[in-house]
Amino acid sequence: MNPNHMAWLRGITRRHFFADCGVGVGKIALAGLLAERTARATTRTDERVLPPRAPHFRARAQAVIQLFMAGAPSQLEMFDHKPKLAAIEGKPIPPDVIGDQRYAFIRTDAAVLGPQFRFARHGQSGAELSEVLPHLARVVDDITFVKSCRTDQFNHAPAQLFMNCGFAQPGRPSLGSWVTYGLGSESDDLPAFVVMSTGSGISGGSANWSSGFLPGVHTGTRFRNAGAPILDVAPPPGADAALEADTLGLLRRMNERRLHVEGDPAIATRIASYEMAHRLQTSAPELMDLASESQETLDLYGCKPEEASFARACLIARRLVERGVRFVTIYHEGWDAHSQVAQNVRGNCGKTDQGCAALLTDLKRRGMLDSTLVVWGGEFGRTPMVEASAVLGRSQGRDHHPNAYTMWLAGGGIRQGLTYGETDELGFHVTRDPVHVHDLQATILHCLGLDHEQLTFRHQGRDYRLTDVHGRVVHDLLA
Amino acid sequence: MLALLLAAFLPQGPDFTTEVRPILADRCFACHGPDAEARRAGLRLDVAEAASATLESGRRAIVPGRPQDSELVRRIRSSDPDRVMPPPGEHDALSEAERRILEGWIEAGAEYHPHWAFVAPQRPPVPGGDALHPVDAFVRARLAAEGLSPSPAADRATLCRRVHLDLIGLPPTPEELESFVADDREDAYERLVDRLLADPRYGERQARRWLDLARYADTNGYEKDRPRSMWPYRDAVIRALNDDVPFDAFTIAQLAGDMLPDASIDDIIASGFHRNTMRNEEGGIDPLEFRYLAMVDRVATTGTTWLGLTVGCAQCHTHKFDPITHREYFGLMGLLDNCDEPEWTIPTENLLAQRAHLTAQIESAWRELPAKWPATDKDGNATTPMAERFDAWEAAESARAVAWTIPRPSDWTTTLPHFRVLDDGSIFASGDATKSDVYTLELPAGTQPVHAIRLEVLPDENLPAHGPGLCDYEGPKGDFFLSEFEVHANGARIPIAAATDSFAGSPFASQKRAGAANAIDGEMSSGWSTNGEQGRPHAAVFKLAEAIPTGVPLTVTMRFERHYACSLGRFRLAVTDSDAAEARGHTALVEEALTKPADAREDAAKLLVERRFLESAPELADHIQHIRRLENQLRGGTTTLVMRERPADNRRVTRRHHRGEYAQPREVVAPGVPEVLPALPEGQPADRMALARWLVSGEHPLTARVTVNRHWASFFGRGIVETLDDFGLQGALPSHPELLDWLAKTFVEDLGWSQKALHRLIVTSATYRQDSSAGASLEARDPDNVLLARGPRVRLEAEQIRDAMLRAASLLSEKMFGPGVRPPQPDGVTEIAFGSPRWNASQGEDRYRRSVYTFQKRTAPFAMLQTFDGPSGENCTAKRDRSNSPLQALTLLNDPMFIEIAQALGRRLGASSTDDQTRIQELGLRVLSRRFEPDEVEDLTAYLAKQRTRLATGSLDAATLAGSDDEHAVENAAWTLLARVVMNLDEAIVKR
Repeated sequence: MNPNHMAWLRGITRRHFFADCGVGVGKIALAGLLAERTARATTRTDERVLPPRAPHFRARAQAVIQLFMAGAPSQLEMFDHKPKLAAIEGKPIPPDVIGDQRYAFIRTDAAVLGPQFRFARHGQSGAELSEVLPHLARVVDDITFVKSCRTDQFNHAPAQLFMNCGFAQPGRPSLGSWVTYGLGSESDDLPAFVVMSTGSGISGGSANWSSGFLPGVHTGTRFRNAGAPILDVAPPPGADAALEADTLGLLRRMNERRLHVEGDPAIATRIASYEMAHRLQTSAPELMDLASESQETLDLYGCKPEEASFARACLIARRLVERGVRFVTIYHEGWDAHSQVAQNVRGNCGKTDQGCAALLTDLKRRGMLDSTLVVWGGEFGRTPMVEASAVLGRSQGRDHHPNAYTMWLAGGGIRQGLTYGETDELGFHVTRDPVHVHDLQATILHCLGLDHEQLTFRHQGRDYRLTDVHGRVVHDLLA
Repeated sequence: MLALLLAAFLPQGPDFTTEVRPILADRCFACHGPDAEARRAGLRLDVAEAASATLESGRRAIVPGRPQDSELVRRIRSSDPDRVMPPPGEHDALSEAERRILEGWIEAGAEYHPHWAFVAPQRPPVPGGDALHPVDAFVRARLAAEGLSPSPAADRATLCRRVHLDLIGLPPTPEELESFVADDREDAYERLVDRLLADPRYGERQARRWLDLARYADTNGYEKDRPRSMWPYRDAVIRALNDDVPFDAFTIAQLAGDMLPDASIDDIIASGFHRNTMRNEEGGIDPLEFRYLAMVDRVATTGTTWLGLTVGCAQCHTHKFDPITHREYFGLMGLLDNCDEPEWTIPTENLLAQRAHLTAQIESAWRELPAKWPATDKDGNATTPMAERFDAWEAAESARAVAWTIPRPSDWTTTLPHFRVLDDGSIFASGDATKSDVYTLELPAGTQPVHAIRLEVLPDENLPAHGPGLCDYEGPKGDFFLSEFEVHANGARIPIAAATDSFAGSPFASQKRAGAANAIDGEMSSGWSTNGEQGRPHAAVFKLAEAIPTGVPLTVTMRFERHYACSLGRFRLAVTDSDAAEARGHTALVEEALTKPADAREDAAKLLVERRFLESAPELADHIQHIRRLENQLRGGTTTLVMRERPADNRRVTRRHHRGEYAQPREVVAPGVPEVLPALPEGQPADRMALARWLVSGEHPLTARVTVNRHWASFFGRGIVETLDDFGLQGALPSHPELLDWLAKTFVEDLGWSQKALHRLIVTSATYRQDSSAGASLEARDPDNVLLARGPRVRLEAEQIRDAMLRAASLLSEKMFGPGVRPPQPDGVTEIAFGSPRWNASQGEDRYRRSVYTFQKRTAPFAMLQTFDGPSGENCTAKRDRSNSPLQALTLLNDPMFIEIAQALGRRLGASSTDDQTRIQELGLRVLSRRFEPDEVEDLTAYLAKQRTRLATGSLDAATLAGSDDEHAVENAAWTLLARVVMNLDEAIVKR
């Protein structure tokens, strides 16, 4: 019997076991399973909720850290330098450029707004960044910038869902869920898919890390900023380790007794889930204990161990990946610069630039960058045109722009020091090497050794995949 | 083995339904199925004639009886990667066994049978006649064929717990349990079942199952995810299920309750079934795009709920597997499409009485107002007497009043809203509003020149928040935002010199007053709003720079433009030849009265003028405030979202959308149903009512089967058709097809669609009452209990778990109905949602209400319910996942809510004067509905003793663990800890 199948069974449900293995194998497996479980009922088992599974082909990356810049950062203030906008500032963009593009707030005849910051080239690769990204400027040679990203959606919630789930309505599995479904987890003691947020709330809500129609175990686990990171991981007030050991020991004994009486393997799964819960109670505090990090590391990130921040989340993400966690998403909200885009970008870069750069530096010096894919970006970009409205008290802002924006990738499987794709002189349209959201998703899966066309799940009679019927791997981005 | 039961007369060769079609559907139909656009090589394998027709290539895919001549066989046998089917990489290759099935089938004549689920069920004879309960007769016939025998009946305690959980969603109390166990009457069980069916808790449990399908939630979803008042719908479902409204009538109310003649309040509320769709209030969205997406959801949900078909798959293209074309999909949408979507104030008797009372209060307040005239002001100085003030006011306002003429518009155009001219010359706009609406009205030539135009914005109880605007998302409800007001005459734009208004609201956080002058500034981002004065009339007066001469018609254009839809809902235009007109805050009637000499006014007009004076007198401001508050209360009342059929002259036109995309509307599609299903009844309009009646006509092949199957699954943890939401070609085949059809026919014809009767039928079967434990051999033979040789054993649903624990601790509130409540949950759950809203836990009884009343926030669902696979309300859910995760363990072990429950149990047991053994057994009865076995008691006692010692010696802090500090703390804490153990047993969250 395949031990992976065994563990898979324990972790999910019998239904899935049989769906995966076919009934014939199931019958044999189950008889053996019961005997085996009964035999070693009192020993600590190696049961895993999500055992690792083999990829479709050689994986470049083992783990992903997704830095989700919710609200949509202005590519025009950070990456995509368009001097032409300064030259024609105050004039409208020609209607034939705009076409039938719809906007959330502005009218299509809104005037152009020039770049708010100075740009310079950095590193050997000569990547162009604005002055508000001094930390990232030092690691550009590890990064591939994709200036030609495109999405179908121009409202936050649908666009965030589209980026995460490949579909603009709630109900489909998220990227992280697909990845843990495809690859399982390397960690026995921590959730396979962790979600952190350091800002003011996420437009798409929990649908962004939902397992959709995949089994519930693939749902992303929220880490809180205050209190114990995982909900209810802390024992109740007044409980100590001895009490918890007694309690879990008695639970196991009594559950095992019922397993003998009733013979339902679901009881064995329940026992295993309590074991992992117990391990989480140890591993979670250990994970969050940043005292073991050197001062130099804390300084690198620029974070304080006890204070929730984006940089601290980056450090925790590194620690998670180190411990075998497969997929980490950190949301930084607040990029929705409908007014005062300069102030917005400066402020958000102040909060995130150092953390992003430190994460790459730290992963690299620990030899982890080669196996960890880091993806940075928002749900769409921002308009070359200004957003201003007296009644809304808005000025010098930029509206939502789905046609062209910048994301960056680094690490596991990604080329170093590449700038990919181009936009027109107004930053309005992609003129070279467009990368659609579905292409990006296919590429991320590819780095993990997963074929986006093969990674499917049958639901309502149909084989669903992250990229629907779209997406192509952008091989140019791969190392 | 399925084939044995499915086909009485097996042809030679493999069975088409059970063996052949699954292969064809899975590997072939995507390119050779119903979807003409995806079809390759012109070959279609889902229809017999097409499959054996001569193709363009001159070959025939299937030559019945001659596999050797069939191109299909050549292709599946080919070793050439360019010729072999299915194409490598696109689909899994056929196994040798599968190839042989296809060959064998062609050899035997390649006979096609219609898909079982599209053929109306016939009532099959019950095997063995009346000897057994019919359910058992079918199940046992199958077991016998499989060489299996049924399990013995579960013991009475287990059965009592099972049927309680299934019917009312709660375990029995120890008293209920003991009384049933002790009841030795022959029909004790039937009596128990009848009692449970009559228990009001039945509706709460069964409603939750329906609410999963209805994607019920208490917020709008998407980014803002604001609260909505929808709980009256939830309550109406509970009432309907408790009243056992037959499922046919229930269906009609859910889909078209508002269209019923003499619709009751609950009928109209029930029409909110399809208002449970999400609503995007994010700034800048296109409201019609999200309405379209809601329609897409409605079609898919209707398909899942009643048809058991994945209709949604035909949104983008013709269904790959089932015979539903892309056009037919939009035909179904058309049946549901012709409605407006109001927020309805429920006219309960209570509300009407309240309103009558308020109206009387308001009238008497007005009448008493003159007597309130103060003799002195707040500094103690004598005020001017009222009569004196009135005379002066009246004289001044009469001098300023101008005579207005209300012309009836001769014609109008709008972007989308639909106009109806009311008797008073005002215009009521309904239908769809957009982010950029334009109203253009032609006013006929008058007999006098026009110097000024008055725009009255009027309240109407049929508008959101009683208007005057149509705004009902994102912006202030009932508001409007008039960006520009333009006048044309003789083909030229007439400049407007000045604009005055009676009130300028501030719809935006910037707090800038949005006055009528904004509507003539040429700037679309500024405009006029009366936000804050919803439900009250106001007016703006636009003074023309040059008069329009007599005899010249004029055109008024109003533009409404914002990042949300905010057009006017009710308004009236008037013209005057006076060049002194301005907005003075008088209603039209008051101003008209003021133009007349005082002695020429009728009594009613006099009264209006007097009251207008009183209203504007600063001396009475406080009293007027009081009246205003009363008047605002008139607009109050509980609202719920309902459907309202559109008027005949404004029918919505449904179009096919290319690739299912909102932005790609194509040709108009007539409302209708897929051809593969029975036709709509003739002689009635093709609308929601027709759809509802068609579904429950009794002749429909799907509705009754899908419905009884879903009910069956709620008892056995698995449907007779395992895919509860897919009876199509890709769906599972029924494990007991004859039982399914028998149940469906019986449900409709004998039970009159009564859900309670159906439940009674199922739970009184011996099959349901079997012991659920499986010996190793049965577990190996039939791990999913498809054959039903044992009783059901499944994890409880999220709500059942919480409710059962609350009941075990005697905490559960019996309060029914009302707005969603917020049981305690850890910090940080809702904060992840947009705007980081706080979850302020309810206090008192509301902490312990049944989970069906828990406030459901879509983007951040109540953590415990979500952890145990409760739905978010974002999609129609026919079947919940039953996961088993460490987070569930953590929740039950440590969540403050469960600790609170354990502490309540601990206090109860700690305070008991009985011995430990008795108390341990009481704990067992409360949480597990059984007594512990001796070895269990031994373990529990040892644990209890050990913790007691630790608590008594202070090694554990009793007060903290017990959650209360008193002389019983040690005992309470010890029992709290023991309760926590028992609440965490697998058995505590399982129905067995």
